[in-house]
Amino acid sequence: MPLRIGVLGTGFAGSMHAHSALAIDGARVVAVAAVPLDDATALANECGARVATAEEICAADDIDLVVVATPTYLHAEHAIAAARAGKHVFCEKPLARTLADAEAMVRAADEARVTLAVGHVVRFFPEYRQAKELLDAGKLGRPAIVTMTRGNFAVGSARGWYLDEDKSGGVVLDLMLHDLDTVRWWFGEPSRIYARRFKGNEGLEYALATIRYDERPIVQIEASWAEHSGFRTGFELRGDRGMLVHDSRAASPIALQSPSGPAGPAMMATPTLHETPYLVQLRDLFARIARGEQPLVDGHEGLRSLALGLAVIRSADTGEVVSWKVPA
Amino acid sequence: MTERIRVGLVSFAHVHAPALANTLSALEQIEFTGIHDDDEARGRAASSAHRTRWHPTLDGLLGSSDAIVIASNNVDHRRYTEAAAKARVHVLCEKPLATTTADAKAMIDACRSAGVQLGTAFPVRSSPAVMALKAAVAAGSLGLIRAVRATNPGQYPGSWFGDRRQAGGGAAMDHTVHAADAIRWLTGDEFSRVQAELGSFIYGLDVEDCGVMTCDLEGGAFASIDCSWSRPQTFPTWGGVTLHVVGEKGTVDVDVFRQALTHYDDTTGRTRLLGWGDDLTARMVAGFVDAIRAGRPVPISGEDGLRALEVAIAGYRSAETKRPVAISDIRA
Repeated sequence: MPLRIGVLGTGFAGSMHAHSALAIDGARVVAVAAVPLDDATALANECGARVATAEEICAADDIDLVVVATPTYLHAEHAIAAARAGKHVFCEKPLARTLADAEAMVRAADEARVTLAVGHVVRFFPEYRQAKELLDAGKLGRPAIVTMTRGNFAVGSARGWYLDEDKSGGVVLDLMLHDLDTVRWWFGEPSRIYARRFKGNEGLEYALATIRYDERPIVQIEASWAEHSGFRTGFELRGDRGMLVHDSRAASPIALQSPSGPAGPAMMATPTLHETPYLVQLRDLFARIARGEQPLVDGHEGLRSLALGLAVIRSADTGEVVSWKVPA
Repeated sequence: MTERIRVGLVSFAHVHAPALANTLSALEQIEFTGIHDDDEARGRAASSAHRTRWHPTLDGLLGSSDAIVIASNNVDHRRYTEAAAKARVHVLCEKPLATTTADAKAMIDACRSAGVQLGTAFPVRSSPAVMALKAAVAAGSLGLIRAVRATNPGQYPGSWFGDRRQAGGGAAMDHTVHAADAIRWLTGDEFSRVQAELGSFIYGLDVEDCGVMTCDLEGGAFASIDCSWSRPQTFPTWGGVTLHVVGEKGTVDVDVFRQALTHYDDTTGRTRLLGWGDDLTARMVAGFVDAIRAGRPVPISGEDGLRALEVAIAGYRSAETKRPVAISDIRA
């Protein structure tokens, strides 16, 4: 029997996950929800799915797994409803806006004995995986100093809820959280955190954080909603035996220009991988569920990365160094 | 054209000394009066390589010069500067201006009382890209500047740079000040608070080789400086200087030494970047001597050197105490 999926949310993430699920054998998207409901029609039609409300999807008998890709502050409500109805949950990152919400989600999933997976998709990006493999194999020696950067245009200018700190957590929980999760994945739990950030007009936001490990390394992370030319990522990973450098701007195997300007996607597809990391992430999750295994990033792990993001915000707000304590 | 200004070079200890000697030889407004060095063998070799006079004594060099450029190790900056001031000779001093704020202040005071000028060697201000950015900031094209992420990572320079007694510190003493000065100059603002993480991770030194400073500016912006000796020995160039400037109306990336040919060299088995951008050292030295000749204040003063040094000093204290440190606290 195929894994039957309900998708909550039709923004970038919801749409990406629905299309990814379509490409996976043994998975079927059966319902799509959005607010307002009409916003779900297009994606539902593409998936051959019905339009339904989030409440209907969480309660439906013919759904095994709910993809929670709603605005961050609604994750808890939706994930808990789905878990209590006995459905597995794949929740976009950040797991929640608050630690209390995240804890309630983890508890609900544990009590219902369903899988709660968190979409820390960078763990499926090949350049970050390869770095992890080289690190673990000792090819770089002991890590010394690491800089990571992630930027995008001011996304809040397109989707208003991002502008509300209480709903989204801003650029730290949106972008920096990817790299915070990555440093935990690469290096384990840090020792202390220092951060600064500003919020400007029209969704402009920018943050710098220094993450210090007891011994080593020192990590600096930049997160920007002031990258007006669009999405980019990068890292420099310096160990005492070598350095790895990644710059997404220098890593595109195809570039298109036209007399009428950058009309690329409309003129031709510009794939950079046969399968997106989002698709690989979902396929991995579905396979683990089928085998009765834990997901790669479960609710507990997502909660710890969220807590690190919240610690960054606390440091930025107070201007003080924050000691890191792993949530129990 | 007025007479040439007579300029001598004190010490060949610094990695920048060859470029400075080339500049003193090349600039037509300068009469290169020679080199003095405490290390006689090094000084004689340098004098002969640059076809200039060897001065066995500092006084001999000072006596025949209107100005000197100091390219010694960091801790000797003060005594050379004080000797020059006493001899009524202007000073262009390598960065960092000194290894303590007390030394830097003493240098500033000595030059002021002697009626000579003290300049700090910050060539980044001479970069056409940085100058274009400065003009854009001044014109308001970027709106209010809210954040700057600066990096000045390099290869480990070796020799005395890793010796605390001669350098006053490690990578943070070596590399913080270039970026700190550029940030001050661009924003027209002063640093108010510094948090730093430092570590000795790569070369087994007793000074730090890695560091990130995160700083507040008085006007409300913040900035970070990566001052690490993080470039591997296989890196295709010595290092670099970058500035990522985020304004309310625009974001700018500057990579000061980006103008370079990539040389894949089978004869050495190495790949090297060969810079072809403007000679920043020559422009910096010209700016200094032209101001002296015209009787104007030099473009980058001893005060500028002190302000940049304060950031490094506050960073050391922050790394030690694991707390942010106010610049006013290190002045007290």
